[in-house]
Amino acid sequence: MSLTFDDVDFGAELPPIAPDVTLANVRRFTTASGMTFARFHDHEQARKEGLPGAIVPGIMSQGILVALIHRWAPGAVVRKIDTIFRAPILVDSHPVARGVVTDKNDETRTLEIDLTIQNEAKETRVVGTATVELP
Amino acid sequence: MEIDVEALKRDWTGFTFDTAEFEALTADLVGFATACGETAKRYTDPSDPDFQAVPNYPSRYVGRRVLPDNFPRLGGGYGFDAGKCVTPIAPIRAGDKITARSQIHDVYTKTGRSGTMLFIVHRMEFSNQRGEPVSVVDWRMVQQDRGAQ
Repeated sequence: MSLTFDDVDFGAELPPIAPDVTLANVRRFTTASGMTFARFHDHEQARKEGLPGAIVPGIMSQGILVALIHRWAPGAVVRKIDTIFRAPILVDSHPVARGVVTDKNDETRTLEIDLTIQNEAKETRVVGTATVELP
Repeated sequence: MEIDVEALKRDWTGFTFDTAEFEALTADLVGFATACGETAKRYTDPSDPDFQAVPNYPSRYVGRRVLPDNFPRLGGGYGFDAGKCVTPIAPIRAGDKITARSQIHDVYTKTGRSGTMLFIVHRMEFSNQRGEPVSVVDWRMVQQDRGAQ
């Protein structure tokens, strides 16, 4: 049964997820999204551009955070999601996406959720906030 | 280089400088969602009666022009992508014909250790084939004044 607004407490943590950012999966994403820049799916080309390797597209990171919300609350409706791409997530790395409920609005039955993606070194590479409506 | 933010706002915000059209294809909707790890069936299964694009799907769309012609370039180039804010309004369904209208929504500066950075908020407003608004995406681009370092 899907989570409801009344089930959620202020400060609740969403179960973290370890997103698949392997080269094969990022290529699936870039194909579906039409993002043809080689720096997203070719390590060698990314290094030629001065990057340490291929990088995960920012909008894929944002999609990972949306998926984090839906895995926690499949019936959630995302009313707004704002993400800041502080630093790249590397393809073939092992990031972790997390979220925590920072506010509840009883009138609109919406939650504010702070979102992050960290790399293996626990560096926060992507931050965001989402406004989410629950039944 | 001195940045006159008020002049930039006055001269460049509030008008549509680009319009582009896209079609929401089933395979792309599924591929985008599943690659991100989405598991809710309304985003991953075309046979679901409520099948639709994930909320941030329109952030994949880029118009024909990133900035209006002759928009000043600080430090050269378009800068880098600092973030995106998506406000879904209505579902995007498979087969929808999406029209995107671009405008410069805001311009502001921040100054840090690496110098002054110019933030340009490129807003894309999306509507479907019935003219119904479906989403707004604010794309924050940053240009850095390398001469100030």
